[in-house]
Amino acid sequence: MSSSVRSDTALDLGSATIIRDEDRTNPVAVRFEHVRKTYKLFKNDRQRLIASFTDRVKYDTINASDDLTFTCGRGEALAFLGDNGAGKSTALKMITGVCFPTSGTIEVHGRVSALLELSAGFDMRLSGMENVQMRCQLWGLSEEESKELIPQIVEFSELGKYIDQPMRTYSSGMRARLGFAFASSIKPDILVVDEALSVGDRKFSAKCQQRVSDIMANENVTVLFVTHSTAQARKFCTRGIVLDHGRTMFEGTIDEAVDFYEAT
Amino acid sequence: MFKTLAQILSENWQWRHQIWDLAKIDLVKTYRGAALGKVWLFTKPTVYILVYWFTLSVGMRAGSTINGEPFLLWLAAGVFPWFFMSDAINTGSDVYRRYPYLVNRIKFPLSVISTFYTLSLLIIFAATMAITTLICVLLGVHISRYILQLPLVMVVMFVFWTAWSIALSPLSAISKDFANLVKTLSTPFFWLSGVLFQLSSLPPLGQHIMAFNPVAWCAEAVRCCFIYKKWFWTRPDELIPFLIVFLVVVLVALRNYRRLSKEVPDVL
Repeated sequence: MSSSVRSDTALDLGSATIIRDEDRTNPVAVRFEHVRKTYKLFKNDRQRLIASFTDRVKYDTINASDDLTFTCGRGEALAFLGDNGAGKSTALKMITGVCFPTSGTIEVHGRVSALLELSAGFDMRLSGMENVQMRCQLWGLSEEESKELIPQIVEFSELGKYIDQPMRTYSSGMRARLGFAFASSIKPDILVVDEALSVGDRKFSAKCQQRVSDIMANENVTVLFVTHSTAQARKFCTRGIVLDHGRTMFEGTIDEAVDFYEAT
Repeated sequence: MFKTLAQILSENWQWRHQIWDLAKIDLVKTYRGAALGKVWLFTKPTVYILVYWFTLSVGMRAGSTINGEPFLLWLAAGVFPWFFMSDAINTGSDVYRRYPYLVNRIKFPLSVISTFYTLSLLIIFAATMAITTLICVLLGVHISRYILQLPLVMVVMFVFWTAWSIALSPLSAISKDFANLVKTLSTPFFWLSGVLFQLSSLPPLGQHIMAFNPVAWCAEAVRCCFIYKKWFWTRPDELIPFLIVFLVVVLVALRNYRRLSKEVPDVL
């Protein structure tokens, strides 16, 4: 796997620090230290626009992650448990690098592939095949690597002839299948899974779970897993973190975490 | 400031292999769904230029030759750059909405979206310029050595309109009103630019004001290659105001990118 793209970066965002590299030998895969993510809530878009010129506009804030601290070691499978609005998805997004913390330190060592809201993230005007080719380029695969990988992705997605049709004609299940096929085929160091295993019908869902199990069997792959299904969490993960309102309520083995979550 | 500049440059350098492919994908996206495909990329410029030519030359009886060159060539050398700039103003200033999934689904540096989108426009622009030159050669219209500055003009335009896109896209993402404002302004930018009339027919004050319109400078710079037969750097009265605007746009781009780029994924 070519990994010349996106080398070491340390971003300093005021009071927040992000350390991101592709060092897959580091025993730590992901570390959060006192991470806070504050969303600014403005009355309307105009207030937000004015706020981009001056600091004198008033706004409400909400902390999606609040003083979040945890460490996920290499090869671990960690589950995030919590109700809606607990800050699970925000945490995963920050790991993926598509959103940025307001303060605190985030360390990510290794390449992250995310199964975030699978049906999103595709260009509706391009065909399935073009989308996959584009994603391969964005992931930094060479042409030979893409050539080898793309048939596997298409086969796993079970899209058949539909692969050359525009994405906008796909059903949500088809999009999700292609999304899962891509994200799980590119051999990431860290796999982020957000409610993704209930994709498609029961048969495909079982196939996805099998795929995730296979990936997890490789002990160098770290998996971060968000789900409401405690059964899936027990099946795949070894450790669990229970979140509530962006804070860590409990951290421990998966059985303890599930018990704690179900008790509250 | 310099830190942000270094950041933007290093992001573009890191993704340099993908930028070209993404620009090509953007072109595919533009003509996708049409049976004629790539033909559409050139149909619109051809039709427009003929309509403008008919209106101005046949209908309004504007001049037949300008600086000894055919009126149609004068028109093409202004209108083709305008097509590039029109898309850069309208879509380039709001480019994150064209690629929302690159903003908040995939980790991808925002400045590179502006780069590859402007590059995709440049590809079309370069192709129309090449065709124009070819037609001139075939019809026996004299092409002078001043055509050699055309690639340089294109590079300047590419950098300027990329900076423009980086400067305005964060604001457009935050506020739809701002995006609409810029789109509304594109019409006066065009009609007050001298793309369709000769700037030299304006009074001197008008010419000085017009020099601050980047659309006017870009169209005139391309005409320097085909019509006026001058090196664009030998016309300081137009170049210096343009460079001032250039500097302002770059500074705004750096400020907005530093201040807003982390906020864009939260609001889009």
